[in-house]
Amino acid sequence: MSFPLRARWTLLCLLCLLAPSTASPATYLDELIGRSREQRLSERREWHRLMHYTSNLVTPGVHSLADARRFFLAPDGKTDPQSELEATLAAFFSDIVETDKEQNPQCAFIARYSWLDQQLRFDSARLPRQPCKRFRDWRETLNPQGVTLIFPAASLNNPSSMYGHTLLRVDAKDQDEKTRLLAYAINYAANTDETNGIAFAINGLIGGYPGMFSIMPYYLKVREYNDMENRDIWEYQLNLTPEETDRLLMHAWELGPIYFDYYFFDENCSYYLLELLEVARPDLDLTSPFRWWAIPSDTVREIVKQKGLVKNTVYRPSNATVIHYRLGLMSPDELALINPLARGTASTADRAFAALPPTSQARVLEVSHDYLSYLRATGRSPVEDPQELARKLLLERSRVAAGAEDPPVPVPPVRPDEGHGTSRVGIGGGRRDGLNFVELHGRPVYHDLMDPEGGYVPGAQIEFFDFAVRDYSRGVGVRVEDITPLKIVSIAPRNEFFQPLSWEIDVGWARRRLADGSEPLVFGVNGGPGLAWTVPDTLRSKTMIYGFLESTLQANTRLDKNYALGIGPAIGALIDLTGRWRAEPYARAQWFFAGDTDTPWAVGLKQRYTLERDWALRLDISRERQEKQSWNTVLLSLHHYF
Amino acid sequence: MRKILIAVFLSVVSALAFAQKAAAQQNNIGTCGWGAKLFDGQSGVAPQVLAVTTNGTSGNQTFGITTGTSGCTQDGVVRSTWKTAMFIDGNKERLARDMSIGNGETLDSLAHLIGVRQEDRAAFNRTVQANVSRIFASGSTTDQVVVALKEVLGSDRTLAQYAASI
Repeated sequence: MSFPLRARWTLLCLLCLLAPSTASPATYLDELIGRSREQRLSERREWHRLMHYTSNLVTPGVHSLADARRFFLAPDGKTDPQSELEATLAAFFSDIVETDKEQNPQCAFIARYSWLDQQLRFDSARLPRQPCKRFRDWRETLNPQGVTLIFPAASLNNPSSMYGHTLLRVDAKDQDEKTRLLAYAINYAANTDETNGIAFAINGLIGGYPGMFSIMPYYLKVREYNDMENRDIWEYQLNLTPEETDRLLMHAWELGPIYFDYYFFDENCSYYLLELLEVARPDLDLTSPFRWWAIPSDTVREIVKQKGLVKNTVYRPSNATVIHYRLGLMSPDELALINPLARGTASTADRAFAALPPTSQARVLEVSHDYLSYLRATGRSPVEDPQELARKLLLERSRVAAGAEDPPVPVPPVRPDEGHGTSRVGIGGGRRDGLNFVELHGRPVYHDLMDPEGGYVPGAQIEFFDFAVRDYSRGVGVRVEDITPLKIVSIAPRNEFFQPLSWEIDVGWARRRLADGSEPLVFGVNGGPGLAWTVPDTLRSKTMIYGFLESTLQANTRLDKNYALGIGPAIGALIDLTGRWRAEPYARAQWFFAGDTDTPWAVGLKQRYTLERDWALRLDISRERQEKQSWNTVLLSLHHYF
Repeated sequence: MRKILIAVFLSVVSALAFAQKAAAQQNNIGTCGWGAKLFDGQSGVAPQVLAVTTNGTSGNQTFGITTGTSGCTQDGVVRSTWKTAMFIDGNKERLARDMSIGNGETLDSLAHLIGVRQEDRAAFNRTVQANVSRIFASGSTTDQVVVALKEVLGSDRTLAQYAASI
């Protein structure tokens, strides 16, 4: 085969033309890398935020919190920002065509691409720009206008949500406050099907689950929290610019397939949302206070603290909150119909119902229906086919000629971010069994029933690692009075509509008097079920009385047979004398029937007076009896929350 | 002649089969693989709720960002053809409540979703309220609710224009 000379030249020239274009990515890449080094881009805060780099604890250098291999393009990308940046630039030259399962690196890492493009001004002739259709479609569906931080309040009966939860909502341009249900929510959660609460808690502590971001219609979240779990939701609308919102979404897209080891305490839902916000606005420093633990309400507080970041807040009461409020507004005639209608034991044909005016009928049917939903959601369906009963109530409602009433539930005066700080220290002094003492006490997290209640779920106490040290003036000297790694109390009042169980558990060491008068620190586990009521008016009053049946197991080598097992009642009342002044009289007795036998009891009165949000005075007086010895204690202390 | 009859018969049968299949694929929430399922068996017992909730999501791909096409979602967001059916499926109880009252956030959101203009909102609310027993017939599935809503709107002169966008 022989080509004419001219043709050969043409071919050669073509090769000449082709040669530079195959060589160009390499040279252009070298140029980009060179410029990135000149500009020291890998040291920039934006790059560190995008890669989730955080300083090593002991050694110099950084590591990324991301745990998925695919998040890094360089083999050492988890610890080397420069190497990762160069590998990222190289990957942008990839000619992978986007499919439903695969993306070009420019699209898969679109926030990195966008930032590096801004810094290096990519020449699209030498580094062709990918269309990234999947991302564009996704973004178009979200049609973002802004971002709202969503905070569903704590739910003690769900171990994964004891402190509440946070997620983000992407608000679309064509929505308003009446149609926000249609927005999308970005949620970070442990990806697991675990249904065993204990296994969940343990794995959550040690990072045993992969944490992942997901996106879903906001209405699913509202139904879940408001209707199924009966948790109030707080919405904090953030003041992000369109560019910041875009950065947030691009980064969420990048994190889609990425997992992080999920840690219940620190690297949890709330922590990673803060990181997303830091990517959106690199000037923000939100995460640094949360190196050790990130309590959702504290992260909300941190966001509110940033000047001008929150522009508006919206309260979305749960189904139970709405029912409770509407029941409180009802006349006795109306109230008497709710339970029978919701349980299918009365009909709208009954005289008691028919005699009511239409507005009243409408109200009764609406609340009966909502109450039936509540019963279903809490697993206490009163009839075989609750769906059909609900349908009947609604059909009746549609026939009543009365407009919608839906009285707005008053917004609680204190938002979750406005409550007292979750850490507490106290200093005080008093007298115990004839000895004066001064006391120091600390509690890292979170809230007890005697703390100022605003912003917290009423009746819910969670404390971790509460401890007290006392210095007795004579004889005893300095000693640890008690250490309580865990204490949870859930007191929920019962009435004719709501019948929750109360419960409590505490685990820790406390002083226990022995027959010889010595007082070793004895380990104990104590807890049990209880019941509570509000008095005198079940729907409007805030004074609560409670009773628990407690079981106690104590262990110490100084005890007879090394242990003591007991059972006994505890009763008390929580009384708000004024908005600032709360009192709790209590009495408890135990019958230790196995091991070291004894019948100890205690009666006392705790009082708290709130000075300001983060300061309170406490006065506790008590009389106790153990091993046939009785003594009095009085303690006055000043508490500070932070 | 016989051959022609057979051919006609076969084509009718296949057309019917095709139509059935098309109907099954269109607006049939069951083919999404979630939706109603998400709300089944939710009786409020903590461990059960835990499985799909808050800090523990079940391991499915439906809501994964960048997971491609999965049931009714594309990269985690609901595909436009499913939007209305999905919304009704996820909000059935609240929607029935709002319709029976003729007002409410869930109803507003539905109206917005199917593009009911502001001037037609009052008529829309009135019409669904008057027909709530038809829209939410006894024991009806989401698919049946969707079809019934379509019919109710379709038979109203002002609102017929919106029936198509469900």
